[in-house]
Amino acid sequence: MTRPALICILLLLGSTSAPAIGQAAEPVDYEKQIKPLLARHCYVCHGALQQKAGLRLDTAAAIRKGGDSGPAVVPGDSARSLLFQAVSGAEDVTPMPYKRPRLSEADIGLLRRWIDAGCTAPENEVVDEALSRKYAHWAFLPPVRRPPPDIKASDWVRTPLDRFILARLEAAGLAPSPEADRVTLIRRLSFDLLGLPPTPEEVSDFVNDPAPDAYERLVDRLLASPHFGERWGRLWLDVARYADSHGYSIDAPREIWKYRDWVIAAFNADLPYDRFVVEQMAGDMLPNATLEQRIATGFHRNTPINMEGGIDLEQFRIDSVYDRVETTGTAFLGLTLTCARCHDHKFDPISQREYFQLFAFLNNCDEPTLDIASPDLIARRDALRSQIRVLEEEQNKYYLDKLSRMSEAEKSRIKPEIIAILSLGVEQRDEKQKQAVVEAFKDDPAVVERARTIGELKKRMPKFPTTLVLRERTKPRETRIHIQGDFTRVGEAVSPGVPAVLHPLPSVPQPNRLTLANWLVDPANPLLARVTVNRIWQTYFGKGLVETENDFGTQGEPPTHPELLDWLATEFVAQGWSQKAIHRLIVTSAVYRQASRHRPELTEKDPNNRLLARQNRLRLDAELIRDAALRASGLLQTKIGGPSIFPPQPEGVYRFTQLQKTWNTSTGPDRYRRGMYVHFWRSAPYPALQVFDAPDGVNCCTRRNRSNTPLQALTLLNDEAFLEFAQALGRRLLREALDNDAERIALAYRLCLGRAPSAEESDRLLQFVRQQRESFRQHSAEAITFAGQSESDKADAGETAAWVALARVVLNLDEFITRE
Amino acid sequence: MHRKAEALLLETRRHFFGRCAVGLGGLALAGLLDRQLFADPKPASPLAPKPTHHPARAKRVIYLFMAGGPSQLELFDYKPKLHEYNGQPIPDSFLKGKRFAFMDSFTKEPPKLLAPKRKFARHGQSGAWVSDLFPHLGGIVDDLCIVTTVATNVFNHAPAKVFMNTGSAQFGRPSFGAWLTYGIGSEAEDLPGFVVLQSGPRGPRGGSACWSSGFLPTAYQGVPFRTTGQPLLNLANPPGVRPQCQAQTLDAIRELNLRRLAETGDPEIATRIASYEMAFRMQTSAPELIDLSSETRETLELYGAEPGKVSFANNCLLARRLVERGVRFVQLYHTNWDHHGGPGEDLEHSLPAVAREVDRPCAALITDLKRRGLLEDTLVIWGGEFGRTPMGENRETTGRNHHIDAFTMWFAGGGIKGGQTVGQTDEFGFAPVEDRIHVHDLHATLLHLLGLDHKRLTFRFQGRDFRLTDVHGEVVRKLLA
Repeated sequence: MTRPALICILLLLGSTSAPAIGQAAEPVDYEKQIKPLLARHCYVCHGALQQKAGLRLDTAAAIRKGGDSGPAVVPGDSARSLLFQAVSGAEDVTPMPYKRPRLSEADIGLLRRWIDAGCTAPENEVVDEALSRKYAHWAFLPPVRRPPPDIKASDWVRTPLDRFILARLEAAGLAPSPEADRVTLIRRLSFDLLGLPPTPEEVSDFVNDPAPDAYERLVDRLLASPHFGERWGRLWLDVARYADSHGYSIDAPREIWKYRDWVIAAFNADLPYDRFVVEQMAGDMLPNATLEQRIATGFHRNTPINMEGGIDLEQFRIDSVYDRVETTGTAFLGLTLTCARCHDHKFDPISQREYFQLFAFLNNCDEPTLDIASPDLIARRDALRSQIRVLEEEQNKYYLDKLSRMSEAEKSRIKPEIIAILSLGVEQRDEKQKQAVVEAFKDDPAVVERARTIGELKKRMPKFPTTLVLRERTKPRETRIHIQGDFTRVGEAVSPGVPAVLHPLPSVPQPNRLTLANWLVDPANPLLARVTVNRIWQTYFGKGLVETENDFGTQGEPPTHPELLDWLATEFVAQGWSQKAIHRLIVTSAVYRQASRHRPELTEKDPNNRLLARQNRLRLDAELIRDAALRASGLLQTKIGGPSIFPPQPEGVYRFTQLQKTWNTSTGPDRYRRGMYVHFWRSAPYPALQVFDAPDGVNCCTRRNRSNTPLQALTLLNDEAFLEFAQALGRRLLREALDNDAERIALAYRLCLGRAPSAEESDRLLQFVRQQRESFRQHSAEAITFAGQSESDKADAGETAAWVALARVVLNLDEFITRE
Repeated sequence: MHRKAEALLLETRRHFFGRCAVGLGGLALAGLLDRQLFADPKPASPLAPKPTHHPARAKRVIYLFMAGGPSQLELFDYKPKLHEYNGQPIPDSFLKGKRFAFMDSFTKEPPKLLAPKRKFARHGQSGAWVSDLFPHLGGIVDDLCIVTTVATNVFNHAPAKVFMNTGSAQFGRPSFGAWLTYGIGSEAEDLPGFVVLQSGPRGPRGGSACWSSGFLPTAYQGVPFRTTGQPLLNLANPPGVRPQCQAQTLDAIRELNLRRLAETGDPEIATRIASYEMAFRMQTSAPELIDLSSETRETLELYGAEPGKVSFANNCLLARRLVERGVRFVQLYHTNWDHHGGPGEDLEHSLPAVAREVDRPCAALITDLKRRGLLEDTLVIWGGEFGRTPMGENRETTGRNHHIDAFTMWFAGGGIKGGQTVGQTDEFGFAPVEDRIHVHDLHATLLHLLGLDHKRLTFRFQGRDFRLTDVHGEVVRKLLA
């Protein structure tokens, strides 16, 4: 391989001069035309930070002086200038920029003309270090698509991706792992694409499919499933910090599930990612914005809202704009903009001023609630609402008057919780609390009568969904820098703008949120495609090609396979930003299809499996553990979308919250819907989700932790919801398998793990079932309770309980909650 | 029959110890497999005890969090001048540039100073001022270091609680207890390292954000313990599952998991096995913990604890039982200290009531820890998220508003210099005139006592090394013994 240092030596050996073709004599401006192009293409190696081959090109004087091999230019003679020869691809010269794309013909022409005109530049030019820094970091430069490398074991390769992976493995002297068996493959694919395990029929169909394209057809079928949008939509909701409550101290419920539905539908329809981004950032501002596009702006309405008494609303509005700026940075740019809120970023070229220029784009929205109903219905609702409001205020005033007239003795008879409720404003009380107060004053006919009227009005209230959206203000707010991020200390005013280190903003007269959205999806953006494909990759392998998936800045980890990352990023754009195209590409690759078994020699050479000589075993995400148990037990309700659900949860969850939450446990089909629909209270999340590392719905989450704790064991063993799954699975085994212990155990394994048990596993479980049968027959009361048997059920309770016990074992296996 | 699994465990031992970064892992593994398999008796687990940066003066923390913001002017910070100026507007110079919660109640009319509602007296050899609301604490005042000049940044309850716990008003950062267990692990074998208890009419505002592990692994999150019924969610076996059935179930799970471990070689399964072992032990240890019937009548009376009740007194006694069992950080929340003057929140009746609820148990805790030799290396912290204004706030009665410039906390035990009152506020108790001690300074000081350098206890997240003290914090030497 040619070293760049050789270039100058080679250049001295002789050069062929390209004849100067007649050209317009328009003078070239060094500052405006030459310096920017040199900065972009050359400064990374030949600027203020690095001077490869002793050469720097960041001032005209330095260019004339040259490096280890002499002057880089001969003023007036481009053909004899090393710089020109290198960029124009003269023979025997290492082409520059080194290992990066060639300059455009226009740029090459500019350089030639500048050199031929004598390399004129302003006197006393000073080094602009910032310019070098800007172009010194890989992630700020556009991705470069290089052909996949040559490899030896080409029969292993299934997609271009595999060549990149294999090249590194071969260089490290490692062989990839064999392809996983078919059962593992379909289970892996089903979890990864749908978040659900395959049914035993799906497994056997695939295992017995002799067609050479059986795998690819399976992939296509799964990508077309409406559950795909649930699985990948939920991961996006992590990024969007989705929750069903406002957060902070009051943590009142909110309605924004229409946004969740939008996300699911967008993934299912494979909405091109550029539109996916634009509609969420600024769907309301698109020409003739549709209802769906306005719903999409719920993305930035997932910020918490503080409803505590006595607060300064502006403070928390500004906090939510900070959150929007920073989430935009994390989600679409992989940049840690937060650092620049209080001061210039310490490591990345982002100034505090630039932070607030981004802030200025997002500082001009109102935050309305969108009614999803006809205008008539809305008007009727509004009228009723104001009637109720008047009555409730009247009622409240009545309570307070009454209270103030009471003697201490009388007052002391009122429960403290009622007093506490009355200390809240009417709008801060939930229905339960209002009811409790009426109850406390139920001897007063005036109270009861008013409550009855309110109740009547409420019954007449038309019901329709609403959702939270953004709406741009006609008159923008002024944005000023907040000194040290403190909202009370304002500095100079700034106009909307983007960090200079990135591609320029399209020039429009009045840049607004839509301009920012369009800027994000500009193909010139070096980050968006990389950050996105990296997150997709991370989901399939546990870690991204860039391990710091939320930091592509200078403090982040460099990519393990930079060429692969760039290839995928450019492919993503080339495929019209189709996410499904990237999914298909990755899951059909040989690297994805490998077995995940640990190999001792890899443990030595690549302990963190960064080279991917095997797949990784991954514990399922929180929601998927519920989903897998629902499917295995046969309880799963596959309805997609709609309002959130309230499956059983343990007693006592709200003993640690300020306000008691409502949790009316779902009894109908909603009880058995997927984990992603479980109502998410920010101050007290559903325990079975929280314990398995579901994100908190407060911060933009781009990667979940995978912890492994005793509280998880307690959940799977003892939680009411999981017991119900075990009971249903136990009954299913009795119902669906042949009347034979071994058959039932085999069915349990196929339902839960996709595979048949080994002889040893089967023996161990046969022993367990016999043990339990005997024991439960001796303790029939316990058997009836544990099996959840109703009185009318005439089945042998001991037998049922034994199978429920067995189901409970299988649902607790590490393998059950793991994607192999 | 586990030969294969055991051989494999041996083979991957180095790998396992190196990688098992998440989960309660190896703690219980030794109980599961032949201990001789492991030369190292303490395999790496996130909650395994870890070395400190320097020798620690305190090994564990009991944090008595007085949620709502206790009025220092009725409890510790004696300001006779307020009697003289009662009802007069506070001079403008105090308010310039200041912001308060419920601003409108202060902008309608100029806020007026409010005389202390309680009688104060000097106590102990140190002669510390304590009001008549805390007679029991007055009796042990020589063990306390009272700081009257604590300052914080935020004046709304939820953000202020989160700030006091995490050093940031933004939700989603790790709390003190999480940082501590991340930093030095825990010595509890059968209980979580960070336990949260609650008493009073409602949970603290801010909820789980107050004991969150933030971006640290969830293993470091505070685990709420209920003090009646089942202490932990899902702790009890499902109805109808007798202990024998539970044991047999766990046996089967363990053996099948071991087979899978042999099959895949994935050390994460070893951690899973250990997690189930510890869960099983917790099922016994946690109910035993909250059962106060083994305590003597004398001890129960000392605290004013009554078995089976939810009370701050019971929680104080439970805190002692928790630290005895090696739990690293116990945090007790007691509501409600938010005495604005509204119904149920007045200074005349509500404040004395809540003060009575905590006075005896707090004093008892110090006394009990001391006589058991635990106080010398247990750090006890008492305080709220902020204090209250010297000016009255008119609601149904006259109460006090939230105040962040100066408020009182006290500390006792491990490495703390007791028998002193640190800090001096101005004649109205509005602002410190000497020894202003910011929350970040407190965090730095407390970590220091626990053997940790607050600048070195960091976690890399989103490209930055985060700390409990952000970019601030100085160790306050005056507090140290």
